[in-house]
Amino acid sequence: MHRLSAWTLLPAAAIVTSAYATTYLTVEEAQGAIFPGAKLVPVPLTLTDAQVREIEKRADVSVRNREPRVWRVDGGGLFIVDEVLGKHEFITYAIGLNPDGTVRAIEVMDYRESYGYEIRHEAWRRQFVGKTAADPLKLDRDIKNISGATLSCRHIADGVKRVLATYDVALK
Amino acid sequence: MTSRSSSLRRARPLLGTIVEVSVHGRPSSLAHALEAAFAAVAAVHRLMSFHDAASDVSRLNRDALHAPVRVDPRTWSVLAAARRVSAASSGLFDVTVAALLQRWGHLPARAGAPRPDSRANWQDIELAANGTVRFRRPLTIDLGGIAKGFAVDEAIGAARDAGAESVFVNAGGDMRVSGGRAERVHVRHPMRSGRWIDSGFLREAALASSSAGGVPPGPHVDPRRRCPAAAFDGVTVRARTCMIADALTKVMLAAPGLAPEVLGAFNAEAFAVSGDRVVACRPGVARAA
Repeated sequence: MHRLSAWTLLPAAAIVTSAYATTYLTVEEAQGAIFPGAKLVPVPLTLTDAQVREIEKRADVSVRNREPRVWRVDGGGLFIVDEVLGKHEFITYAIGLNPDGTVRAIEVMDYRESYGYEIRHEAWRRQFVGKTAADPLKLDRDIKNISGATLSCRHIADGVKRVLATYDVALK
Repeated sequence: MTSRSSSLRRARPLLGTIVEVSVHGRPSSLAHALEAAFAAVAAVHRLMSFHDAASDVSRLNRDALHAPVRVDPRTWSVLAAARRVSAASSGLFDVTVAALLQRWGHLPARAGAPRPDSRANWQDIELAANGTVRFRRPLTIDLGGIAKGFAVDEAIGAARDAGAESVFVNAGGDMRVSGGRAERVHVRHPMRSGRWIDSGFLREAALASSSAGGVPPGPHVDPRRRCPAAAFDGVTVRARTCMIADALTKVMLAAPGLAPEVLGAFNAEAFAVSGDRVVACRPGVARAA
């Protein structure tokens, strides 16, 4: 039995229900951060069935998007925007590849954490009522910095494996 | 632009989590400060990773039983801090529990590593003043319970040294703010997804959280004291450095009864979550009786 008399109840402790979302970089900002001053040209790419199978085999990660967002960097290198979906988190990140295909840098562009509970929850939904596309949708107004059980970056690690396999199979 | 200050906020995957760095100050210094902060985190990762065979931790686990091993001053200072927390908590914080974590499958086994002695503990790690480390018994260390907090402290120092006026670093929930800025923090409820506990503002301080994980401990509440009678679902510690906050969360989870002594020894405070209840222990703050 633990001796807990030193712990006192915080009666006013606020437990809130919300979602967390933050945007770090736009596509242009991420390009400038990873390849400062460089000229980037979009590379139209649609993966074939055979390429998807090969990428999945090499990376052991499923390919959901057959049209990866890829830019070629003037002077060598590639810039790729990828998205990963965890159980509760949705992350958009940019990855810069050196001319030899090695990872130059990874920058998280957008991070969202949300739960099915909130989507169903009336109060959470209500904040969107009446908003149009012109209204900036700010979810991080209340929750800016989060602590608590660590979310792993395993999904990003899987995403990077997929990007590197895509490079080997379709962009080399 | 009328303001001479601006800020930059970035996040990168590091330390097995997402590390966010936010710097504020003169625009010309910010990009450099940001890179310095991320580089400091990456350096700690390289030195203290259990998985990287070239890290100080792996070198110690392989060789420190046979002869003193020289480690980076940063690794040495983390081991020294771990020792202080172990001593203050009667060994409830112990970096030599890696063998158990390996047995339970949380850490990979190492082929060819000396078989750990079941009697070995933190007191068998010898820290020599010349910067070397030696193990007195076969043991395996893991700095996972403290290195992330240290990495946050290092990032804060590096960004300030590089000219940032204020810095905020959050490594997957272990965070610290420095330079006069205040940051509002919410703690993820350890058991109820989508629920957050408002933990107010953080200023010139660090905060770290740990959760018990696994099944909920159940509704064991002491009705007289109106506090949980079983282990907490999760604990958050506020301390001066993130390394100490990180380490103390483990002690508070393992032995909440030690809170007044241990938190007091490090000038820290904590709150814990159990179901819908939030309880706090603030040894430094007035606690009559």
